Amino acid sequence: MTGQVRDVNYDPLKGKEAEKTMYEKKVLIFNQEKCTGCRSCMMGCSLFHDGECGKVLSRVAVVRNEALGESFVVGCDLCSEAPCAAVCPTGACSIDRVMGIPRINPDRCIGCKECAMACPFGAINISSKTGKAFKCDLCDGRPEGPVCADWCPSGAITYAQPVLAFKAKRREKLVERLKATKAGEEA
Amino acid sequence: MYGWCGQRLRVDLSNGTITKEPLSYEYRRKWIGGRGMNSEVIYREVLPHLDPFDPVARVCFGVGPISGTAAPASGRVTVSCKSPLTGGFGDSNMGGHWGAELKYAGYDQIIIQGKARKPVYLWIDDDKVEIRDASHLWGKFPREADAMIKQELGDEDIHIVVIGPAGEHLVRFASTFNDVYRAAGRTGHGAVLGSKNLKAIAVRGSGTVKIARPKEFFDICNRLRQRFKTDPMRKFLYEIGSLSLINVANHDGWLSVNNFKQGAHPEAWRMSGEEHSKTVLKHREGCFACPICCGRFTEIKEGKYAGEYGGGPEYEHSVPTGPRVGVFDPNAIWHNMILTNNYGMDGIETGGVIATAMEWYEKGLITSKDTGGLELEWGNQEVVEKLITMIALREGFGDVLADGASRAADRLGLGDEGQKYTIATRGMTLPGDDPRGLGFAYGVGFAIGTRGGCDHLRCLASLELSGFMYPGLNTKILGDERPVKPVTTVGKGYCCFYEENQKAMVDCLNVCCFTTHWSYAVLTADQVEYFNAVTGMDITEEEFMEIGERIVNLERAYWARMLSGKREDTIPERFQKEPMPKTVEGQTNIGAVFPVERILPGYYKYRDYDPETGFPSERRLKMLGLEYVAKDLEPLRQKYNTEAEKKKKKYYY
Repeated sequence: MTGQVRDVNYDPLKGKEAEKTMYEKKVLIFNQEKCTGCRSCMMGCSLFHDGECGKVLSRVAVVRNEALGESFVVGCDLCSEAPCAAVCPTGACSIDRVMGIPRINPDRCIGCKECAMACPFGAINISSKTGKAFKCDLCDGRPEGPVCADWCPSGAITYAQPVLAFKAKRREKLVERLKATKAGEEA
Repeated sequence: MYGWCGQRLRVDLSNGTITKEPLSYEYRRKWIGGRGMNSEVIYREVLPHLDPFDPVARVCFGVGPISGTAAPASGRVTVSCKSPLTGGFGDSNMGGHWGAELKYAGYDQIIIQGKARKPVYLWIDDDKVEIRDASHLWGKFPREADAMIKQELGDEDIHIVVIGPAGEHLVRFASTFNDVYRAAGRTGHGAVLGSKNLKAIAVRGSGTVKIARPKEFFDICNRLRQRFKTDPMRKFLYEIGSLSLINVANHDGWLSVNNFKQGAHPEAWRMSGEEHSKTVLKHREGCFACPICCGRFTEIKEGKYAGEYGGGPEYEHSVPTGPRVGVFDPNAIWHNMILTNNYGMDGIETGGVIATAMEWYEKGLITSKDTGGLELEWGNQEVVEKLITMIALREGFGDVLADGASRAADRLGLGDEGQKYTIATRGMTLPGDDPRGLGFAYGVGFAIGTRGGCDHLRCLASLELSGFMYPGLNTKILGDERPVKPVTTVGKGYCCFYEENQKAMVDCLNVCCFTTHWSYAVLTADQVEYFNAVTGMDITEEEFMEIGERIVNLERAYWARMLSGKREDTIPERFQKEPMPKTVEGQTNIGAVFPVERILPGYYKYRDYDPETGFPSERRLKMLGLEYVAKDLEPLRQKYNTEAEKKKKKYYY
């Protein structure tokens, strides 16, 4: 954590919790190759948070190119040095020490859209009703994990500790290589 | 308002008027949406003897109260019209994301009427609706037109319904596409849109769907989605798509080979989903809010067709332009699929007419003189390829076939002998499933279906096909475990009755039948539950199924008004008389025939159809709140009996 980030939601009672490193926190991991473009994540997100269903209410977004059959899922990557928090002029967007993720406090948000512009992924949405920014909050501690990852049918979105995910990814490469050599030997 | 948007859009292309009509509570309660509302409009506004290409004819696009929500696979659209192929009632259903987008724009239905003077397309941007010039889009493939419209409107995220060149040339089985590859294939409304000079409908919606009881709805959706994670059928559909059926069909002998002369072929495995996934599968695709994602995207990597790409294949699309015409080279089949998609026509009917012509050629009813020098031999891919293009552009012999198999037989003057080989009922050819092996309830569905008689999606009796994967399901639904066996006549009448009503409701809610029928993860009780949670109504399961029955009866009455009844409730002789030959080792249905006559009376009894005419009975129509329909049919009952004697056979209307 750097001095850049304004920490307005800091709660000293949760200090111990806050000491958990970013390294250990579970995050959303997006695997674009697996995305089928079904938008189940968007529907789950808007229904869970707003009690309505609509693409405009979702905190994740699926971008599609139908003609080439490509789909792409965009969501908050939960940066440690979050540009959205760095640019926020009022401190509405800041790193939440409890969850360890950038969050937006709607009471402080003035709707300047700076965070949405600053986000390198386009993961911040602007409410069509209030004009204020809103973003992923990991479904605020839903026991089963965020809805988007829970409902994703193809495994394009997963909710896991990044360290485990990295390890699994490395392992995958090794398995692939082993397979290739084994198949080669047999042939 | 919860669930529905509460209004529909009526576009008159003749004078460019656009009106928004409110939908009352009673109306929504009676017809729900999608297929229900569409059927009601078609019955009321398109008179039975109107030419389908008349400017007065209507095309309806309907979505349901559940469309555009988090309910599993809730993005479908029903397109309805008076079919130019069968001449009767016709509707078709497509996936993609267009339906949800229409809902977000704030409409439950679009009715297109009239005829534009020059090619136009419709641009719906929430409240703003505009008819725009489409001269530059005319003649373009769906893929090109889609890209051009997106560029013109400056938004890549809009969703577009579009027709291809086949629709413009009034090919009687032209389809409508959305999101480029998701087709509402059958019954030919693409041609009706073409006759109205309407190339496309582009939609952008920024609204939301309001939910009456959001907490409850979320819990239901969550429960259903968890269920899909372990669903046995879902696994197949996601991993290998609907082509997973090829190997099953080949084993059980219900693959359509050489125009249904055989039910299996030793080469069929080459086009199976397992092989497809290993070779040309580029990507898996999902329609809106789908927990299954059975869509495929194919890119051909080697051979003559290397470099071609497109959405698909599906089982029903690939079999007619493959095994049914004797083609087994997988790359050729994918190529045919891409070609029919590009031209924008129904792959099933295209394969069906070509296969029929091949059989005429084989039997010597037509010669190469009639076909303009084409040698129509089984498995001649060069000819199939050429014919697809010729049909789409109505060139030479293709012009004859572009009217559909039954009409083509009449145009060539082949008479009843020619009609014998059109494997069709009510003028529409059967999809690639042979009822002698697939199941008898499916087969009855081909005979009595209300959209031109012959379709697997009308009476989707999957209890026979995938029922065995869900132990105890048949007992739960039908009260009897015996109908799970496909080739038996026991309990099939009720099975058809139930599945037909249930499918009608699925089309009204406009959710995908793969979630409710193939994979039985969303049962009727679940559908009622999420319908109530979204709309805030409190209907029971009985009332729910009654609405389904109402819609089936209304559609049946549409045919009855054209004096089509019991006479057409049959399927081609081939299935009834020719025993299934053995073509592969281990085939399970050798020697099977399909005794449709033994099941129909039972079905009629559940439906309360008149055993003489096959018309819906007055008593049942009144019970279902269709008094006006009963009044329409009253004078026709007597007439049907005499007319039927005068003129025995009618293949289309």
